[in-house]
Amino acid sequence: MTPRPTSHRDEALNATKLRVAERRQSLLVLALTLPAIIAVFLVIVIPVGWLFSLSFLDSNGELSLVNYEKMIAYKSYLRVFKTTFNVSFLTTFLCIVIGYPLAYFLSQIPRKYVGLFMLTVLLPFWTSLLVRTYAWLVMLQRNGLINNFAIDLGIWDAPVKLAHNLNGTLIGMVHIMLPFLVLPLYAAMRRIDRHALQAAANLGATPVQAFWQIFVPLSLPGVVAGSLIVFVLCLGFYVTPAVLGGGKVILVSMQITAILEDQFNWGAASALGVVLLVSTFAVLLVASRFLKLDSVMFGRR
Amino acid sequence: MTFKLLKQASQKTFLGAIGAAALSVVAMGTVQADPVTVVSWGGSYGKAQDAALFTDASKNSGIEINRESGASMSKVMLQVESGAVTWDLVVSGSGGCAAAAAKGALEKIDFNVVDVSNFLPNTYTDYCIGSDVFATVFAWNTEKYGEPGSAGAPNSWADFWDVKKFPGTRAIRLNNVDGVLEPAVMAMGIPPEKVYEFLSSEGGIEKAIAKIRELKPHISVYWKSGAMQAQLMKDKEVDMITGWNGRFDNAKKDGATVGYTFNQALRDYDGFGIPKGAPNKDMAMKFLAEVSKPQYQANLPFHITYGPTNKVAYEVTTAPKELLEALPSHPNNVSKMLAVDLDWYANYREKALELYMELLSE
Amino acid sequence: MTSDTAASLSISVTELTKTYGKIFALNRVSIDVKAGEFLTLLGPSGSGKTTLLMAIAGFNRPDSGRICFGDEDVTVLPPHKRGVGMVFQNYALFPHMSVFENVAFPLKLRKIPAEEKRQRVTEALRTVQLSDFAERGIDQLSGGQRQRVALARAFVFGPKILLMDEPLSALDKKLREEMQIELKQLHRQLGVTTVYVTHDQREALTMSDRIAIIDHGELTQIGTPREIYNAPANHFVASFIGESSFFPLTKDKSGALQYAGVTVGEVPNGATHDNWTLVIRPERLSLHAPKTSKINDKIYFSGEITELVYQGETAIVMMVMADGHSLTARMNTRAGNDVDSLMGGQNLLVGIDKKDVIIIPGEAS
Repeated sequence: MTPRPTSHRDEALNATKLRVAERRQSLLVLALTLPAIIAVFLVIVIPVGWLFSLSFLDSNGELSLVNYEKMIAYKSYLRVFKTTFNVSFLTTFLCIVIGYPLAYFLSQIPRKYVGLFMLTVLLPFWTSLLVRTYAWLVMLQRNGLINNFAIDLGIWDAPVKLAHNLNGTLIGMVHIMLPFLVLPLYAAMRRIDRHALQAAANLGATPVQAFWQIFVPLSLPGVVAGSLIVFVLCLGFYVTPAVLGGGKVILVSMQITAILEDQFNWGAASALGVVLLVSTFAVLLVASRFLKLDSVMFGRR
Repeated sequence: MTFKLLKQASQKTFLGAIGAAALSVVAMGTVQADPVTVVSWGGSYGKAQDAALFTDASKNSGIEINRESGASMSKVMLQVESGAVTWDLVVSGSGGCAAAAAKGALEKIDFNVVDVSNFLPNTYTDYCIGSDVFATVFAWNTEKYGEPGSAGAPNSWADFWDVKKFPGTRAIRLNNVDGVLEPAVMAMGIPPEKVYEFLSSEGGIEKAIAKIRELKPHISVYWKSGAMQAQLMKDKEVDMITGWNGRFDNAKKDGATVGYTFNQALRDYDGFGIPKGAPNKDMAMKFLAEVSKPQYQANLPFHITYGPTNKVAYEVTTAPKELLEALPSHPNNVSKMLAVDLDWYANYREKALELYMELLSE
Repeated sequence: MTSDTAASLSISVTELTKTYGKIFALNRVSIDVKAGEFLTLLGPSGSGKTTLLMAIAGFNRPDSGRICFGDEDVTVLPPHKRGVGMVFQNYALFPHMSVFENVAFPLKLRKIPAEEKRQRVTEALRTVQLSDFAERGIDQLSGGQRQRVALARAFVFGPKILLMDEPLSALDKKLREEMQIELKQLHRQLGVTTVYVTHDQREALTMSDRIAIIDHGELTQIGTPREIYNAPANHFVASFIGESSFFPLTKDKSGALQYAGVTVGEVPNGATHDNWTLVIRPERLSLHAPKTSKINDKIYFSGEITELVYQGETAIVMMVMADGHSLTARMNTRAGNDVDSLMGGQNLLVGIDKKDVIIIPGEAS
């Protein structure tokens, strides 16, 4: 090898050229992501910012905390938040109780049959939310299908109150939220190493022991991911509780609608939105503290 | 929800833009102006207006209209505030209309165009032209409590509250205090003409709220719309309910076993407003003038039992006597009713609503 | 059946058959593993060796056949009742448990008292040289360390049979070779009957007491590493184990087998095959020094060098014979062999001791 002629300048060979190439590459990456960044800014950052600023204005457009003071002054706001968190928690809990066995079943059958069964889980996804909700109303109300059927069969004598209350709200919400739990949970269960269960059996674990001591702990990231999705979606859910709750289960979203539609008070509605947003973040923050959220979200172990 | 509304609003704008573009293509070469966007409510109310007012008025005046549903003064205010007004003529209750006008969201009515000289008193303002007189009544399942006027049938708000004499479930309004407190006051035995005096007095609202709290265990549903009032009675989901008289008559036509009384009912009116900066403001004003004419209003009772606001309509209508007597604006009925006092609402609505919402969340 | 010691049990597999659709994963396989023996199942991927191992562990149910541990028939026994230890290819550690908890898992299931459990886990971790890692999480371990945890977990509860499914395949070469020695030592120390699956013939030769060659669901040959290497039963074994060159042989009337007119051996007594093949192991060939005379006990091959590959301690010389057959020789690079002076295209004469040639039935392919 003959030595290459070195530059007479005080610079390592090709350093400038390589630096330029590096910078060009990062600019290119930026250019490619820019449309998405702009879209996020326009669609999320600006409206949320607007929401925040509105909440600090009184009806005359003056800077004030009146909207937040009102939330403290009237008990209805605190109660509505309590109800919202209660209903969200109950819905999430019921989704786990119903969704876990379902996801487990899906994860255990041969892959070629999964599509068929998954269809039954996903079918509701493809029908209108409103249609499904009103369908439940038809089923659950006082003279609805379920009550009439049960009374005809003599299962119970008088109509049972299934709709226009917490029961109906939960039934409808669980039905709509179930896929959001089952899908991530199923994915997490499919990721569980079959050999880990074989290893457990090999080491002497009965199928029941292997399930509780190995499968369940390993599926927990999926449970947490699915539960968080469901819980957060529930916090802002409107249609189903509005229709099936019969006005007896008032969630934050419904309170916001009421304030907008009947008081035209954008500031107060925005303030509720802000508090809901902040409490949602608080839930996520607490969850991330206790549940190592990043590992759940990104599948690291 | 804020987002939902924003989304709906922007969708509307977007669809409106597409619609306008499409129509402008169709209309090229003609001198036709953009259609006037007329927004009403769903259910039997909107259908009645289509049948009695809009279709014929559009045909006769040559003003093309574009019908939408889901009228709400809060959406009007959103459109006005965001400077993206797509609605031209919007239906509203008298209270909502007054509130929107107070916030400067409505155009002033040009009385040179719209003729209100023959209107019933108190059925129009500078911003809002009444289209019909309706009543907030209480209705019941006639299978359960008997036909109206029959012996033993409910006849007063006190009966609505009396769950011993009329055991069963009740339904009242959700998240909106309009027409909610007056019945409670009358149920307490206060005569109709003293109701607003009572409510304006110290602790009056709280006492009315307490009276509603008394009934709360028996309220199985809260309704949100006129369509829902009708549906609840059709499905026999509740036994007794508050609501708007025309909705119950139409539910009855559909086979529901429902009846009501005008006794102690609250008389009120619905009307039209034109959003500030409406794209076809002038045409909207002309269309409003057209639908306010007696010949259209005269047809309204055939489709919903709401009374015309234009007195001449009662003279020209071909409606039979029984139908006219069933209207809330009929003199026989007016005498039994309490007129809704918009001034009271202007002063006390906000406080009353907060207290009512607090009661609902209990 | 050999005597079972306290530490180990023999395994007896009889006519085991397992089909997937129309494909035989195992076709009437019978193998006896002696108590305390280290037996390797060797074969290419898809040969059925893992299927056999999984059948022994109880994870797949054969269509027919019998599996016995010692005198006990375990053919239909579920895996958790078989009491065999197993090391999985991907280790199958429990990621939600620490190293200690992983190793303690089988003891916990057996309700071993806490103190004894701690002692046995500590002892097992010491055996695999992971004493300082007990409280680590699995994700904090290197591949080699995970391997050791899997191993400790497999033997900590004192199984009399240990099964290993390609346990070293994920490790790099150097670590793999270290672990081979360690596993061998561990086997000697524990004395447990071990069935080891690999597709790496060198690993099999290094570690095993005996090797069972599996191909297409059938047991092809079983024997000690020396037997397998020196006397492969057929073409497959000869080519799978070690490197080989193949030459077709002709049979004369007296039963002598010849290549290029030179007699290289005779048809074994009782053999009926028509075709026979000569197998030459490359390292058994040596350069014929010029100017020396040929020796009678040797067979010579003359050809042209097509490729020379220098590999440090040895060099590979590829040649093509005049009749078109190719031959590979592996030469020690010591100075006396003068490998450095060889050049492509050069003619070369190499020889092999008649004792070192292998003759197998069947045609050379």
